[in-house]
Amino acid sequence: MKHRLFLVALMSLLSLLVSPQLIASPEVAQSEVKIETKQALPSALIYLNNMKQAYQKLNYKLLYLNTAHNQIEPKQLIHGVVDGKSIAYFYYLNGTMRESLQFDGKISFYQQGSQAYSLATNRDQSVFANIANFDFENGNKNYEYIILGRDRIAGKKAIVVRMISKDQYRYSYIVWLDLESYLPLRLDIINKSNQIVEQTMVVSLNISETINPWIQQLSVQATPEVLHLPLTTIGELPKWQLDWMPPGFEIVKDDQHKLMMHDTDPVSYIMLNDGIVRVSVYVSTKQTELAEQQNIIQRGGTLIYTKQTENIEINVIGEIPLLTAEKIAASIEPSK
Amino acid sequence: MKEYSQDLSSLIDNELGDKEVINTVLEDAALQKQFSRYQLIGDVLRDESNVLDLRMDVTDSVMAAIANEKQDNYVAPLSAAPEPEKSNVVPFMKRFGQYAIAASVAGVVVVSSLMVNQGSATDPSVAPVLNTVPFGGAAAPVSLQATPLQTKSDIKERNERVEALLKDHQLQLQTQP
Repeated sequence: MKHRLFLVALMSLLSLLVSPQLIASPEVAQSEVKIETKQALPSALIYLNNMKQAYQKLNYKLLYLNTAHNQIEPKQLIHGVVDGKSIAYFYYLNGTMRESLQFDGKISFYQQGSQAYSLATNRDQSVFANIANFDFENGNKNYEYIILGRDRIAGKKAIVVRMISKDQYRYSYIVWLDLESYLPLRLDIINKSNQIVEQTMVVSLNISETINPWIQQLSVQATPEVLHLPLTTIGELPKWQLDWMPPGFEIVKDDQHKLMMHDTDPVSYIMLNDGIVRVSVYVSTKQTELAEQQNIIQRGGTLIYTKQTENIEINVIGEIPLLTAEKIAASIEPSK
Repeated sequence: MKEYSQDLSSLIDNELGDKEVINTVLEDAALQKQFSRYQLIGDVLRDESNVLDLRMDVTDSVMAAIANEKQDNYVAPLSAAPEPEKSNVVPFMKRFGQYAIAASVAGVVVVSSLMVNQGSATDPSVAPVLNTVPFGGAAAPVSLQATPLQTKSDIKERNERVEALLKDHQLQLQTQP
């Protein structure tokens, strides 16, 4: 079955490639490609866009496991739509009660033993959001989408789509989608040696027509006060800039502030974003004693890379390969 | 009262099987006093009074000590009372630290990290360092293999620094426009 499908796909692809229309007017041809492939066999891009829709619009409850560095953390996400607005309730299933609720431009955190608080945000923070909300059309500059085949996850028939990075500066991803609802069921972050760096796997998926009564109730509940991060502009701090960024990344934040925990540490801060991952770059004059082996800390996909030069320390944090972090850190230079 | 005297002496001699009497004795302080007097008489007669006297003294002094201690306990919180007020005054930053811990709720990195040796590829003689460094003071199994060059306080300082950076990163992620 798989082979036959593959052959059909290959044949249609080949026939399209030799079609003279395609050469004559690529735009028209492209729309035709979409329609035709949709009828024959949906392309990876269509699946991914369906996932995006489903992840934002459906009422569902996911139980999933997050695995990184042999540590498994079971979590739960309940998502619903209230008056056209997404509401997401998340919590850890094991250990201390840790919950969060995102709704209406705010995300609120509740944890046993500490005061609850909210932050203002419009970006979906839930588990698959980074992948599911990716701009797949524009993303094909940096990723190639390929259908790998079919599989079964959480008792559901799934289709497997691979997002292969076109360069070595970012991780690749494999996404498993529910063939009925198109919701993501599993996500593997893959490094360039095809090793799984981090994995998120749904073990139970529950889709409902109506919103879960529990989060319906939460949506009308008052949330804790919104905190605003104190943004400190420190005049005397030298400014820094990046000479190099991985393709597809852009700067989304560029400021100078003090670390939230250590009010004595002023840092110059730059955040990079490629639509899936966000990378923080910190430049500071404070130096901590650093043993040789300690400049790289990795857990799952998240890397903390520290580089010390004569008088500054650069820290790069994000879900990127080491090579990228090294290149970013090396490209730091004083702002002109 | 009198009718129990017989029962009490039976009790002392371990000849009493009536539970009701025992219960009555347990509830009646006067009977208890009488009981201990009888016991004392018995002890004196059997020439064991010295030991018992001593014991009674101890009981008294213990009771007195307990009474004193109770009073001490009352005193203690009063003298320590200003402290909570003090921690209320302690700054926003400290409180924010607490918030920041919770901020990792939605984040990727939670409690611990693995230190991976950078030089392992180039220098095989350096054993891979698998230091499990606790983040956020979480109760993760910890095994610190300090290289001789590093002091404990260096490691601590480094961990605090990494933790601060990580929490800041998480907060920045949460509030990214």
